[in-house]
Amino acid sequence: MSTPADILIIDDDRDLVDSIEIILQTENYQVRSAFDGKDGYDKITKKIPDLILLDVMMATDTEGFDLAYKLKENPKYRDIPIVMITSFTQKMAEEGPDRFQHILGEAWPVSSFLEKPVDPEVLLSTLEKVLSETPAKA
Amino acid sequence: MDLGHELVKEQLFFRKEMMERVSWMIRLRWMAVAAGFSGCLIGYAANWPLPFVPLNLIFVFITLYNVLFFFIEHRLPSIKPQAVQAFTIFAHAQIVLDLFALYAILYFTGGIHSPFLVFFLFHIILAGILFSPLSCFIYSILVLLAAAGLILIQKYAILPPQPILFESHLFPRNLALRDIFVSNIVLAAVVLITAFLITSIKLSLRAKGRELLRVSKELDSGNAKLKALYQMAKEMGLCQELQAMMDSATRNAATIMGVKACSIKLLDEQRRRLRFSSTYGLSEDYVGRGSINLEKSPINRSIIEGSYYAIGRIDQKDYFQYPEDIRQEGIASMLCLPLRVGKMVLGVFCVYSDVTHDFKDEDVEFFLLMTDLTALAIENLRTELNKTWFLEKAAHQLRSPLNAIDTMLKTLRQGYLGPTQTEQAKLIARCEQRIENLCQVIADLLDLGVKRTDLGKITMHPVNLGDVVRTLVHLYQSQAAAKNLNFSCDIEECLPDIMAKEKLIDELLNNLISNAIKYTPSGGRVRIRVARESCDRILCEIADTGIGIPPEDISRLFTEFFRSKNAKELTEEGTGLGLVIVKEILDRLRGTIAVNSKLDEGTCFTCFFPVIDGP
Repeated sequence: MSTPADILIIDDDRDLVDSIEIILQTENYQVRSAFDGKDGYDKITKKIPDLILLDVMMATDTEGFDLAYKLKENPKYRDIPIVMITSFTQKMAEEGPDRFQHILGEAWPVSSFLEKPVDPEVLLSTLEKVLSETPAKA
Repeated sequence: MDLGHELVKEQLFFRKEMMERVSWMIRLRWMAVAAGFSGCLIGYAANWPLPFVPLNLIFVFITLYNVLFFFIEHRLPSIKPQAVQAFTIFAHAQIVLDLFALYAILYFTGGIHSPFLVFFLFHIILAGILFSPLSCFIYSILVLLAAAGLILIQKYAILPPQPILFESHLFPRNLALRDIFVSNIVLAAVVLITAFLITSIKLSLRAKGRELLRVSKELDSGNAKLKALYQMAKEMGLCQELQAMMDSATRNAATIMGVKACSIKLLDEQRRRLRFSSTYGLSEDYVGRGSINLEKSPINRSIIEGSYYAIGRIDQKDYFQYPEDIRQEGIASMLCLPLRVGKMVLGVFCVYSDVTHDFKDEDVEFFLLMTDLTALAIENLRTELNKTWFLEKAAHQLRSPLNAIDTMLKTLRQGYLGPTQTEQAKLIARCEQRIENLCQVIADLLDLGVKRTDLGKITMHPVNLGDVVRTLVHLYQSQAAAKNLNFSCDIEECLPDIMAKEKLIDELLNNLISNAIKYTPSGGRVRIRVARESCDRILCEIADTGIGIPPEDISRLFTEFFRSKNAKELTEEGTGLGLVIVKEILDRLRGTIAVNSKLDEGTCFTCFFPVIDGP
């Protein structure tokens, strides 16, 4: 069997990160975690993960998106698939203030979108789907 | 090409005067002819020794050519509306023929001693008004030569001498050389000074006319721009959604400025990047390239850092972050201004031109007006949105811990930390259910809060109620089937539109239909009907054969957190806010709701919507 996929969780809610870690480890993923955007970016630069699970609102309302755009601008990190997890439903994002509107209007930096609370089965199937769609690292 | 067009327009403006004078001359000539014939008649009666036959013949000749001119004048405008040249020739022909006629009259009324000699001056004045200064002076010299010719004719009797009727003081009868010389000098001076005065006055008048024309053109274009700006302000004022308002601003700005494209880029929270918030006339590729890093885009940076404005031409490569993309987009130059409210810069407003014309000072000034207007409108709407944002953030803060608990419980129940006993799993599932319910309460509260905060701040458009219901019913089909309900829908054809927002109608009917399904036991019936109630109202009825509402509860149905006892007994699910939201939406759409219910038999909710006025 190939090496297990390396997943990086970036979320400031430690309880949620712990739960996701437990779920992913049970499914034999390699899991790393970070609790803010900066810490997450440092961990990405150290070792490029196969997939990032990213929260939207952390210290600032758009910290997750800011990190996602930062990664998209760097050719080295551009292709890392990102699954966004947020308790903002799509509807709110559409109807919310312009800082969300104009972000959604741009090229979407994220592969998939998961709504909180995270259902383990949905989480796992989403990860599997996104990973299978991502070309293997050279 | 534009310049040529302008010149023709200006020429036409002045030639209009010539055309008017030409017909005026024709009218005047009728009077001259009438005066001539009358003069002859009086002379004949008074027994003046005049050659009446030739004089009358001259007047007949004048009459004839004036008739010809009269017809030509009426045909000229139809030949060509811009027949400037034709009018000039026509005017010359008139002056020349008039001078010939006058010359003949002079010869028969005393030659150089004729009292009508000064009539030459009228023609000099007319030539000065109608033609170029050069033409006027040529006519002056011709007139003087003609006078000299008269003297020669008389002095050397080239033509048979005519009787001298009156004594003229200008030319004495003796025709001594010295007197003739002095008289000629005086005549020449009078004629030339008249020509000089008339042409100078005309040139100065024409310069003033030209200035007036320019000022009036400027006023016209200024007026048109102000009108367009007013329209833009009005349209923006009507927008209650930020995106719609910004889209209106970019579209209007591009149209008014007469450029290819326009964009609004707003600063992000860190004030390091600009993101396209609204664009007009730019391709998706160009906009989709992502946000603009201020460090890499000097043109945008200079604006954010306080430049009054910036003009970029694409050949200034290091001025842009993506010069190649700009070239590909067909942009040759751009003008960018800060969207500023007081000292705070919100972003950058840009217009893009496909020609390399440097935007002129007046363009910049006018665009500044538009920019300030747009900045104010953005800030106003943002303030409104910030109130909503606070509510959403508060809801987010409340929901976050619940979401974490929910995920932890799911992790536990689904055995990721080892197997759980059935009873334990059941209890955990109930915890999850309660949390889910609590999340729903928060969502409903937020929804209600947002609706009440920005009441009235919503853009509505014509919506076909039948279409919305058809889509919704389709979504509930499987849910109803799973509960073994007879689920039917009856929509009247050709219903008029109502003023609404589809999302609101969705939300309203979602609440009512899901309630009907939820509170109707298996085997029951849920029926939806959309029909015209009267000429100005449409109704939408949601009727079920469910548990019904106790009569004493009906008056409290639309109060916050109220749930009937029988509803609570049937299910824990429910926030007691659904019908409050329904009422809130109907209020906003100027609709009403009626409830008809019998305990244990069923409930029928009927919503009434006003149709759009007029045909």
